[in-house]
Amino acid sequence: MQTNDKNIGRRQFLKISAVVTAAAIGLRQVNRTSASSGKKGKYQWAMVIDQGKCTGCGYCTNACRAHNDVPPDISWNRVIEAGKIGDRTVYLSRPCMQCEHAPCVEVCMVGASYYRDDGIVMMDYDKCIGCRYCEVACPYGGRAFNWDAFTGDNPAVPTWGQPEVPRRPRGVPEKCSFCYQRIDRGLMLGLKPGLDEAATPACVVACPVGARTFGDLSDPESSVSQLLKDHPYYRLREDLGTNPRVYYLPAREETSHENNG
Amino acid sequence: MRTTGRASLLSITPFKVWVGLLGAVFAAGLVAMFIVFWKGLAVTNLTDLVPWGLWITIDLSSIAMSAGAFLLCAAVYLLGLKRFQPLARTATFIGLIGYSMAVMTLLLDIGRPDRFWHAILYWNTHSVLWEVTMCVTLYFTVLLLETAPIFGGLPLLKRRFPWASSRLSSLHHLAPYLAVVGLCLSMLHQSSLGATYGVLKAKPIWYRPDLSVLFMISAIAGGVSLTLLVSMLAGRLSPKVHVKDDLIERVASYLGWVLVVYLYFRFWDAFSMTYTYAPGRTEGLRMLTSGELAFNFWVGEIFLGVIVPIVILLTKRLRSQPGLRMLALLMVVGGVVAYRWDINMAGQLILMTYLPQEIVARYTQYMPSLIEFISGAGVVAYGILAITLGVRYLNIVDHQTIEQEEVEGVLDPVAGD
Repeated sequence: MQTNDKNIGRRQFLKISAVVTAAAIGLRQVNRTSASSGKKGKYQWAMVIDQGKCTGCGYCTNACRAHNDVPPDISWNRVIEAGKIGDRTVYLSRPCMQCEHAPCVEVCMVGASYYRDDGIVMMDYDKCIGCRYCEVACPYGGRAFNWDAFTGDNPAVPTWGQPEVPRRPRGVPEKCSFCYQRIDRGLMLGLKPGLDEAATPACVVACPVGARTFGDLSDPESSVSQLLKDHPYYRLREDLGTNPRVYYLPAREETSHENNG
Repeated sequence: MRTTGRASLLSITPFKVWVGLLGAVFAAGLVAMFIVFWKGLAVTNLTDLVPWGLWITIDLSSIAMSAGAFLLCAAVYLLGLKRFQPLARTATFIGLIGYSMAVMTLLLDIGRPDRFWHAILYWNTHSVLWEVTMCVTLYFTVLLLETAPIFGGLPLLKRRFPWASSRLSSLHHLAPYLAVVGLCLSMLHQSSLGATYGVLKAKPIWYRPDLSVLFMISAIAGGVSLTLLVSMLAGRLSPKVHVKDDLIERVASYLGWVLVVYLYFRFWDAFSMTYTYAPGRTEGLRMLTSGELAFNFWVGEIFLGVIVPIVILLTKRLRSQPGLRMLALLMVVGGVVAYRWDINMAGQLILMTYLPQEIVARYTQYMPSLIEFISGAGVVAYGILAITLGVRYLNIVDHQTIEQEEVEGVLDPVAGD
C-alpha cells in the first residue's frame, strides 16, 4: 500500500516538473524577445568613418586613451592597415561596433553588458564577474581584458586630454562606449552630439582630417544620415547579422586623388 | 589495510604514500591558487585572443566526469534498475567531488572571484552560461542531498552524533525525487556547456548545433567510465572493498554501445564540416585533422578514446579481463578530456579577421603557464584525494552491504503489485 502511494507521488511529481519546465521555457522565450530587440529611444547614435580620408595617424586612439583613461597595452580603437590603393595605404580604424544584435550582450550571464536605448552597448564594470565569454563571442576583437591592474600615470594624459571616466579594475574586460559620458553631459547642457565638440566622442573630435562623423541615425538631417544617403558604405562582417552602428565609406581611386591633390 | 595498534600507525603503507603524494600536489596547487588570487590573471598565459585555456578544460572535464551520477540515479530510481544501486552510490559521490572541482576551477578562472555570487543574483536569461550557472548551482545542491546519506554513514558521525547521522541517512527517502530533478538539470546543463561554444557565430568551427549533443553523449561515456574505473580500482587495491565484477562488466558493455553512438555522431559532425568550405571552419577542421591538434584528435580522442575502448568493451573475451577493461575505461576518460581541450582550443587558436578584403583566418598560440599547470594539478589532486578518502572512510564503493540498507527507498513500479 505504501509503495502504491509513493507511485502516485512520483507520477504527480513528474507532472509538476513537466509543467514547471514548460513554464520556464515559456518565460525564457518571452525574455528572449525583450532582451534582443531592446527599446529604441529618441536617439540612435552612429559613427561613419571615411577610409578615403583616414591617414592612419592614430590621433583617434590617443585621444580615446586620454579621455577614457585606457591603459597603454589596451586599445579601444585599433587602427589597422587594410590594404593599398595604388601606392597609398588604406587604414581601418575600429572602435566598438555598438551592434544592434551584440553577441557580447547576448552571452553575458550576469547582464553586465547591456543595450542603452540610444543603441550604445554598455559595460557595467561593477557587475561583471570577469568570465570573458563576451570576449570570446565578439567577432570584432572589440574587447580587452584587464589582466593586470592599471596603476600609475597614463602616458596619454594630459597631452591628448583629461580622463572623464573612472579606471576599470583588474579582472574585467573593457571596451569603447562611444564616449557616452560626453554624449550624456552634452545633451544635459543642451549641446548636439556630432556638432558640438564637447558632446561628441573624443576620437571624432581629435581626427585631424575629418574622417570620422558622429550623429543621430534617427534624424534624417544629421550628418551621418546625410553621408550614408549620398555615399556607398559597408559595415564589418555584415554576414553575421550583428547590425553594427559603425559605418565605413570605402577608399576609392577618386577619393584618394581628391585627398592627394 | 586497517591499522591496528600504535606501531602500525607510524608504519609506511602504500595508502599513506598515495595520500601524502596527492596532499603535496594539492598543497602546491593551493599555493598557486593563492598567487592567482593575489596577483590576478596576469600570471596566466591567457590573452585577449585565447581568454579560455587549461582551467576551462579542467572545469568542463570534471563536469563531464560527474555525469555518471544523474544517469545511474535515473536508472536506479526512475527505471527501477535496482542492481545498479551500488554504482549509483559511487557515481553520486564522484559527482559531488567533480562539481566541487568545477566550482574551484571557475573561481580561479573568473577575473573577479569576489563577485562570484553575481552569477546567481543577476540574471541574463538569454545567456546559455546563465542557464549553466543556475543548473550547476541547483544540481550541486541536489548532489549534496543525494550524498547526505553517504556522509551520514561515516562511523565517527554514527558514534558521536547519532542524531545527525540518522537525519542525514533519512534523506535517502528523497532519492527518487532528487533523481528526477537531477536528470532534468543535468540534461540541461551538460548539453548547454556544448552550446556555450555552439552558439558563437564569431567562431565558425564552434558554430553548429552538434556540440550540445556531443557534449552530452561524451559526458555520459566519461562519467560512467570514471565510476566503473574507480569501483574497479577500489576493489583491487583495498581488501575491504567488495565489488561485483559481473555488474561492472555488464555496464562496461553498455558503455561500449554508448561509444558507438558517440562515434557515429562524431563522424557525421566532422564529415559534414569538410563540405562547408566556410572560412574559419575549414581551417579549424584542418587544425584538428592535420594541424597542431591532430595528435590529440586522431590518437587521443578517436583511436585511444573511442575505437580501442569500443573493441575492448564490446568483445566479451577482452572485456572480461579486468586489466584490459580498466585500461579501456581510463582511455575513455582521457578521450573525453582530450575532446574538451581540442574543442576549446580549435575555436580560439584560429582568428577570424574582420577586414572586408581578407576573411582569411590567422593563427595564434597558447601554452598554459606554470602557475596554471600547478593550480590545475592541485584541483585534480584534490579530486583524486577526495575520492580516495571516500573509498576508504565513506564506503563509496560497496557492492555488498548497500543493497539491503538502502534499496528500501527505491520506488519500483514492478515491486508495487
